[in-house]
Amino acid sequence: MEKKFFEKTLEDYKDQVWGCARCNWCQNHWGWNVKSAEYSEICPAFGEFRFFAYSGMGKMHIARALLEGDFDYEDAPELAEIAYLCTTCGACEINCQRLQDKEPLKVTECLRAKLVEDGIGPMPAHKGLINSIKQYDNPWMQPRAKKASWAKKIKLKDASTEEVETLYFVGCTAALDLSLREVPQNTAQIMLKAGVDLGIFGNQEICCGSPVARIGDRKTFVDLANRNLELFNKRGIKEIVTSCAGCYRVLKFDYPEVPGTSKIEYKVYHTVEYLDHLIKQGKLVFTKEIPLVLTWHDPCHLGRHCGIYEQPRNVLSSIPGIKLVEMERIKDQAWCCGGGGGVRTAFIEFAVETAKKRIGEAMKTGAEGIVTCCPFCEQNMSDALAQMNNPLKLYDITELVMRAI
Amino acid sequence: MEAKKKVEPQYLPPEVYLSLEDIVGKEYITQERAILETYSKFSIDITGYLKKHAKDPSNIPACVVLPSTTEEVQAIVRLANKHKIPFVPFTNGQLGIANYPTKPVPTIFIHFSRMNKILEINTKTMAAKIQPYVDYGQLQADAMKVGLWNGGTPLSTSLCKISSQTALAGLYQTSMKYGTLGKNIISLKMVLPDGEILKTGSSSVDSVDDFWEYAPGPDIYGLFRGCAGTLGIITELTTKLHPWAGEKELPEPPAGRPSIRTYREDKYDHAPPPKLHRLYWVEYNDIDSEIKALREVAHSGIGIGLNAAGIYNTYYCSTTQEQTIKRTKENFFPPYNFYVICTGITSHKQLDYADKVINKIIKETGGTLLSKDHKPEVLKVLATWNLDCIRHVCGYRMSRYSYLDTWFLSGVPAVGKDAQEIWSEAINTIGETYITDRGGVDTTPFLYASDPCGRNFFTEADVYPNPIDPKSLQQAQQLMMFSIGKTIGKKIGPGITAFGASFEPLTSFFPEMGPNVHLFMRKLRKVFDPNGVCSPGRQIFTKEELQAVPPPVIEAINQLRQMNGLDPIDVSKSQ
Repeated sequence: MEKKFFEKTLEDYKDQVWGCARCNWCQNHWGWNVKSAEYSEICPAFGEFRFFAYSGMGKMHIARALLEGDFDYEDAPELAEIAYLCTTCGACEINCQRLQDKEPLKVTECLRAKLVEDGIGPMPAHKGLINSIKQYDNPWMQPRAKKASWAKKIKLKDASTEEVETLYFVGCTAALDLSLREVPQNTAQIMLKAGVDLGIFGNQEICCGSPVARIGDRKTFVDLANRNLELFNKRGIKEIVTSCAGCYRVLKFDYPEVPGTSKIEYKVYHTVEYLDHLIKQGKLVFTKEIPLVLTWHDPCHLGRHCGIYEQPRNVLSSIPGIKLVEMERIKDQAWCCGGGGGVRTAFIEFAVETAKKRIGEAMKTGAEGIVTCCPFCEQNMSDALAQMNNPLKLYDITELVMRAI
Repeated sequence: MEAKKKVEPQYLPPEVYLSLEDIVGKEYITQERAILETYSKFSIDITGYLKKHAKDPSNIPACVVLPSTTEEVQAIVRLANKHKIPFVPFTNGQLGIANYPTKPVPTIFIHFSRMNKILEINTKTMAAKIQPYVDYGQLQADAMKVGLWNGGTPLSTSLCKISSQTALAGLYQTSMKYGTLGKNIISLKMVLPDGEILKTGSSSVDSVDDFWEYAPGPDIYGLFRGCAGTLGIITELTTKLHPWAGEKELPEPPAGRPSIRTYREDKYDHAPPPKLHRLYWVEYNDIDSEIKALREVAHSGIGIGLNAAGIYNTYYCSTTQEQTIKRTKENFFPPYNFYVICTGITSHKQLDYADKVINKIIKETGGTLLSKDHKPEVLKVLATWNLDCIRHVCGYRMSRYSYLDTWFLSGVPAVGKDAQEIWSEAINTIGETYITDRGGVDTTPFLYASDPCGRNFFTEADVYPNPIDPKSLQQAQQLMMFSIGKTIGKKIGPGITAFGASFEPLTSFFPEMGPNVHLFMRKLRKVFDPNGVCSPGRQIFTKEELQAVPPPVIEAINQLRQMNGLDPIDVSKSQ
């Protein structure tokens, strides 16, 4: 029986790392879709640091050398930094798979897992995040009691005690970051207005494990996954909707890869997917016009990782008055915001610089605002806009939906 | 558990490293072992793989520097000369022999990843001035916006930086109309191996524009075409552009975009051809008819790309290794087939004329056009890669072992038959390394028309050994060397030399390739590179370097030569 991903090691990718053909598509925008030289690169880390090691190909070669014992950790003092200066955006992987059938992102994640196992990783800044998850069940050092404070004024079922058709798995960032508080509030109110039988776990919602999965702390991730799965099963959860691209990927695709996990019993949707369904079913009707020219930023963990490209565009196109203009790098070839893979935690400057590049690309469309639906993207791009003193507005898609209904 | 043997590079003297830091800044130089590793490897070069297995440190550079200007490159080169330290200029890519140091001494790796700008696209002179890290995809994207393109594109475009292609003669599959890249270069700015800066072309004359490849005196550019970095480093070049009839942006597959989880669904690969482009796939019953048709199409003057693909398609168009094997075994693709890419250039009438000509040739030569009525399922699959030549996507979906080593022949199409025989003999003597070894030349020659009117074609045969298995790699190496020896014995190649590039050790160990390489290049190296520091051991060994080759290697080569009916070489008598 094939191993699940979270029990695989670099050794399982030996064929791949020896077989990397060095074609460099892990660094470049897929050829058919290149629209200009300026926006032809796709790997944020290579884009910033310019040495091959920071690209997907670089990780493949480093992994090969480590597997063969060509060097040790003491020979390569910057190794951990190289491994963690990757947003896990998956751009390398999608291009590599289309050409070479290899998986540089999975190799990078296994490399990180090895570094954690050997005590070399994660980065010091990640340790606070891990401790917070262990102590508070969220990465933000916030007491559990605050997890549902966003919902004080909204009447929602408690899914831990009541039967609900749909569980709203808010996600730690949207639930605890005060600047993002409107995201869960809008989401819940929209759902209720559309007649969805919605409930939350409230203070009992625990971290999905996405941050620790991406930085290679598999032990903590597997523990969180099992606790969540146990809770979902215990409460008979059949349908989950989440605001977070990271949670979505983990709940949908990573939990089935946890050793010992059998078939996942629930269906999971990201908010934008769910909104798209509601609009198509006629349960969400827009009555107000929003006269804005907007561009859509595809969050990596939602788009490239999970294939959700059209739904948010459908939602935006359904809102009267909104004109959607596209950036050059979109969908599977979208430029990452820079916030993922633990980068924002450990390398804030690189994260924000990457977001600035995305904002520059958005500005070229002539849009008045940039819309997305991932709390990490929003945090990171918000910082970038502030540093740039840029007037471009940043919207979560639920804000626009809320205004239009 | 027994500790594995480490591979330890030789580092630069600290004072040299510090001087390099002063030139490019601390941020853009490194001797971090993990980073050096990513500049140490190989791709299509079997020797490089074998060195990895042998834990040979000689292909790991001492440091990597990222210059941003010609002046910084000049300063690096001057420093290297001062300390007599070898340096290797590099953009990116696969061609093993140019990828890593070949001498077991500390070597500076000059990587051009920061010199990645298109400096100018001039619509009046129809030319683009670019830095060395610009690739075909980038240039095509910007040029299309103003109704131009570079006129030809290799299949692996992000891999191929235009400067590197210039240094290697510039072969690609869509060069029938405008010729290879080497014929399209207007000017170069070079840093010579001793640090002097040299310009070629009309703009080398003060106050003259950059519009023509010639300047007073001999054709200096001709020296650098195909020099593979041996005679200097290209830091800027101007290349011709040609009319582009398609849209400002390339069409997307109607099915949309894949995710990491759906990339194998072939619907994402089926984009329509750009406006005023047309593509034909033609099947033949036998190789003679196919070659006759190839010649006729080439002579007709229509089409920009003409390529006999054979069952190479099995892996160009398959999405997994398993699918490649299955299709090969089932003969899914016709063994004798070729494609023609036509670009209308300016009008539908022109395209219609091309259509008539191609159909007439197909009829006269007994071919069958793949269409909705004839093998539509094959035509659909083939569409995944043939248009890549004009869409600047990497055409090879090599869903299998790494792509190792290639050999080339050139000449009239009949060379394809010779190649077929030689390759078959090589595989039958030594044995195939992977099922598709037989795909390219044994069943049908893989031929590219590389010149208007079909004056020459080139062909290649690739091998796919398992890179983890040294025995498989050695077998592949024998296959390649056997075939090369045989080819030279038959006086028909290897043709890449005919395009202006050749590499060690072939150059020295097969002197039949021509005295020009040995005599002229060795003399040039003495003049251009008095300290012997620029890309040593790549394109040409000096007499001293040749004589330093270990005797067992010479012995093995001589055995190979004798197997192919060639006299042994005596390096002690080398000029």
